[in-house]
Amino acid sequence: MNRTIINIIRFVALVLFQVLIVNHIRLGGYVHPYVYVLFVMLLPINMPKWQLLFCGFGIGLAVDLFSGTLGLHAGATTLMAFCRPGIIKFVSGRQKFESIQEPNLSQLGLVWFIRYSVCMVLVHHFALFVLESFSFRLMGQVLLRILLSAPVTIFLIIMILYLFNSSKKRE
Amino acid sequence: MWNLIRFIQKNHFVILFIVLEVICILMLSRSQNYHKQAVMNTTNNVVGKIYEWGSDVGNYFRLKKTNEQLAEENALLRQQLSIAVDTAQSTHIVNERDTLYEYIPAQVVNNSINQAKNYIIINKGENDGIMPDMCVVSPDGIVGVVLDVSSHYATILSLLHSNSSVGVSFKKNQELATLKWTTSNYRYGMVEDIATHLVFEQGDTVLTGPNSEIFPKDLMVGTVEELYQSPSGDLNRAKIKFSTNFATLRHVYVIRNLYATELDSLRAKF
Repeated sequence: MNRTIINIIRFVALVLFQVLIVNHIRLGGYVHPYVYVLFVMLLPINMPKWQLLFCGFGIGLAVDLFSGTLGLHAGATTLMAFCRPGIIKFVSGRQKFESIQEPNLSQLGLVWFIRYSVCMVLVHHFALFVLESFSFRLMGQVLLRILLSAPVTIFLIIMILYLFNSSKKRE
Repeated sequence: MWNLIRFIQKNHFVILFIVLEVICILMLSRSQNYHKQAVMNTTNNVVGKIYEWGSDVGNYFRLKKTNEQLAEENALLRQQLSIAVDTAQSTHIVNERDTLYEYIPAQVVNNSINQAKNYIIINKGENDGIMPDMCVVSPDGIVGVVLDVSSHYATILSLLHSNSSVGVSFKKNQELATLKWTTSNYRYGMVEDIATHLVFEQGDTVLTGPNSEIFPKDLMVGTVEELYQSPSGDLNRAKIKFSTNFATLRHVYVIRNLYATELDSLRAKF
């Protein structure tokens, strides 16, 4: 199937999954996983950078429309998209991958992917929670929320990837 | 000119990033002013529909509990009705407050409790007679204020919003104070501006105040948990427990003041 269509389906599915299911998970007051960031993480590696930014902005805005916080998620995902080329370079080191179209578990391995998602999720959660509190006054609380939410987000992302990877292999 | 174009071409990634971030921050700072939600309004119908599908699915799993809650409320209302009929017959006094407000039942289609600014979307809107600034209550206590309406849905500013502020009074001595939400816990709110000579115990009831233009007076708000003495000796604060459980909010009523326009026109004269 065309990569663009797959990405559009992924966009819609992740936004709905986030706003209809994940947003209702309540683990204490501090844990808020944001799984939709997976969309930005899985965009093709050789995608033009400006498209990358628009994709990040777009999915953030979609989630914002549902949460009534215009600009909040969009700001965080745009920053994440901006940092992505740098993070991929940083995580891969000298490893080159011309043959790989988009970051995936099966070709790059679990360790690579965990390192990649830790960086991406931390950037996103940091931007999101700082923008949300709109000040550096509550820094302690913000850091606590990042440290508690990020592991849950990463765990959910890896679970989703395993779920969809294995179903593809079986086909 | 060519230099400028070449510069933009070269750095288009960074420039685009800055432009998008500035847009985000502008939108964000505008939405802080919660009366200007123009964009929200246009999308409200689409978003509301999608949330309704989601909540339709979820409602099946809660049917039993919902039934129990409604039955309980029914029982309570029947009891109150019998008392009201009794008093009406015995004294022939018609309670004016009964006819002042109309209750419009609605269902919550989306509700958040873990943001700094929480909103609730309900499945009734302008077509059902709902207008901004109407008050919303649950069977247990107050919930929030209608912020924005589309034809079939309405957005409610939850009590759990950093901008929410409600005039309350204590049942014990009718003293006035202001309810805010500062803590990040959805069970507790903060009542501010309490005079220092007043003493409250845990469990004292907090009701809506008599001066509010939005809330009818004497609606249940919550109970006092803890009183904080101000270190500088001026106004005290008290932590209260909301009687409404926002996490399980399903059925709400929008209260419509039948004389609201009349009141407003009178107020506008002066």
